[in-house]
Amino acid sequence: MTIMAIMTTMTRKIPAVLIAVCAILLPAQPGRAAEPLEMRFAYIGPDQGSSLAGVQQGISEANLQGAFLGQRYHLEVFAPGDWQEADLAGVLAVLGATGQTELLHLSALLPGVAIFNLHLTDNDLRLACYPNLLHVIPSDRMYADAREQWRQKEPGAGVEALAWHPEFLKFAARDLNKRFVKKQGRKMDDLSWAGWAAVKMSADAISRMGGGNAAALLDFLKNRLNFDGQKGIAMNFRKTGQLRQPLLLAGQGRLLGMAPVRGVAIPPTLDSLGLVGECEK
Amino acid sequence: MNWSLFQERIVMRQHFFALLGLLLFVQPLSAVPGSRIFVTNEKGNSITVIDAESLEVEKEFPIGKRPRGIALSPDGAEVYVAISEENKILIFDPDTLEVLREFQSGSDPETFAIHPMTGHLYISNEDDARASVFDPVTGQQLVEIEVGLEPEGVAISPDGSKVIITSESTNTLHVIQVPQHTIVANILVGARPRSATFNSDSTLAWATSEISGEVQKIDMRKHKVLHTVTLPGAKSKPKDVVLSKDERFLYVAGGRANAVYVMRADSLDMVASVPVGKRVWGLALSGDGKRLFTTDGVSGTVSVIDTENNKNYKTIRVGDFPWGVAIDD
Repeated sequence: MTIMAIMTTMTRKIPAVLIAVCAILLPAQPGRAAEPLEMRFAYIGPDQGSSLAGVQQGISEANLQGAFLGQRYHLEVFAPGDWQEADLAGVLAVLGATGQTELLHLSALLPGVAIFNLHLTDNDLRLACYPNLLHVIPSDRMYADAREQWRQKEPGAGVEALAWHPEFLKFAARDLNKRFVKKQGRKMDDLSWAGWAAVKMSADAISRMGGGNAAALLDFLKNRLNFDGQKGIAMNFRKTGQLRQPLLLAGQGRLLGMAPVRGVAIPPTLDSLGLVGECEK
Repeated sequence: MNWSLFQERIVMRQHFFALLGLLLFVQPLSAVPGSRIFVTNEKGNSITVIDAESLEVEKEFPIGKRPRGIALSPDGAEVYVAISEENKILIFDPDTLEVLREFQSGSDPETFAIHPMTGHLYISNEDDARASVFDPVTGQQLVEIEVGLEPEGVAISPDGSKVIITSESTNTLHVIQVPQHTIVANILVGARPRSATFNSDSTLAWATSEISGEVQKIDMRKHKVLHTVTLPGAKSKPKDVVLSKDERFLYVAGGRANAVYVMRADSLDMVASVPVGKRVWGLALSGDGKRLFTTDGVSGTVSVIDTENNKNYKTIRVGDFPWGVAIDD
C-alpha cells in the first residue's frame, strides 16, 4: 500500500474537522505545552465599539499563537469607573479606553503594570512621561506632523492622518483587515487597531520571554520590543511612552499614502512624527 | 509496513540523486534547449514565459486573479500555480502552455511545496490559518492542519518526513510530521517568518523573518534555532531563501534592500550583496545551480545572477509585480 493510498483512506474515514479538533484537544501532543500559562488582561472602556472589538481580536489572535506556544489569555471587561471592586493586582496589563483622570489613577495605583492608552491623543500625556503608561494610539502631534509632511509634498491638499485604514493592503494589512471584518463584523479603524496592537505586542513579548509577569512584560515592552503591527516596519516605544509608528494619509475616504513621507521627511524615520524624547519632568 | 516502504523510497531517492549528480557533472553549462522559466505576475494576473537559453521573454498569458506560488510537478510534466483570489490551484502544460485542469484549494492559497515522494501539494491558506494537503491528480483534499495566523512559506524535507509552515503573524515555524500530519514542534523565530528551506539530508533548515530582518539556521532534529543573524540596513526585509547545490551558500532575497544576499550556510557570514531590481522576493536556482533567478516585484523584472561570481548579468522585463518563479529544466 502506498503512502498516498494510506493517507487517502485515513482521511476518508476520519473527517478533516475531527482531525483538527483532536489536534487541539490531545493533551500530550508533543510541541505544545501540556499546561498553558494562564494570564488575564483588564480592559476598561466602553463595553461595545471599536476599542473593545480591537482588543477582542487581539485576544483571539494571542490565543491562537498561545495554542502553539503554551499561553492562554483571558479578558475582563469593565465599564469606566466600574473596576473598583475588582482585583487588578494580578493582571498582566491594563487596556485603557477611558478618560485621562481614570488612566492616571490606574497608572499610579498599579506601578510596574503596563497601562495601555488606546484612545487619548493628548500631547501632554506623552510629555509627562509616566513610567508605566504606553500610548499605542498616536498623539495629536504625530497626526499633525503626518498631515504637514503630506502638505509639503502636495500643497493645498486636504488630508486626514490615520493610524489605520480599512482599505490598507500593503504589508499584510489586507490580511488583518480581512480577518477583522470577518470576526468582528466591522471595519478596523484607529481605535480598533490600537486595541489589537496592545494585546498582540504583549502576547509577542510573553512568547519571546517564554512566560513572565506584569513587571517583566512592562520591561520588555519598554526596552526590547520589535513589534510587527502590520505596517511594514518593526515598532517600539519612545521614552515618552509613545509607540513609534507610520501613519496613513487619506483624502475623501481614499488612501493616499504613508508618513513619514518620502522626500519630505529627511531622514524619513519614524521620529519625524511626534515629540521625541522630550519629557517635562 | 508503510514506514519501511517510505524509507525504502528515501534510499532509492538518494541513489537517484547520486546518479543525477554524476550526470550534472558532465553536463554543459548552458541551459538545456527548450527549457523555460515561468514567472507569476501578482498584479498582472498573468504568467510570463522566458526562454532559459536566450533569456528572452517568449510570451505572457493571463492565468487568473493574483497568481503567487508556482512550481513544477516532480516529473516536470505539469506546472502548478496558486491563484490566490480565486481560491484554486491551476495546472498547465509547460510545453504547450495549455491549461490542463484546476481544483479548489481552500481559501487564499499563497504558496505551496510538493512532497518529493507522494507528489502531494502542501498549501498555505493565508487568510484561514490553515495548511492543506491536496492530491493534484484528483484535486481531492487529503488533510487540513490548523496552524498560526497568515501561514505562508512551505518547505518539505528531502526525506519527505517533515514539513515546515511559516506563520507570519504568529512568528512561528510549525513542524509537521509526515505521514501523520501532526504538529511536532513550534519554533518561535523573528517577526514575520516568510520562507524556509532544508539541506539535502534534512537535518538543517534556514528561515527568513521579514520584519525583524533576520535569517535563522535551525537544527531540524532538535527543532532548535542554532544561529540568528540580522541583515544589514533597515530596508532588508528578507523573503525567499535558497541553498546552493553544494550547500555551502545561502541566497536570501533582501526585499526592499533591492539585493540578494549570499551568505555562508554554516556560519551565516555575509559573502556578497548582489544588487537586483526593486523589492526582490522570489528566488529559483537553475538545475545545475549556476544561475539564480529573482522576481523584483516593484521593478517588474526578473534578474539573473551568475552564482560563480555572484554578479547580476541580465535583467528581464516581465509583467506587473512578479512574485514567484519556477524553472523547467
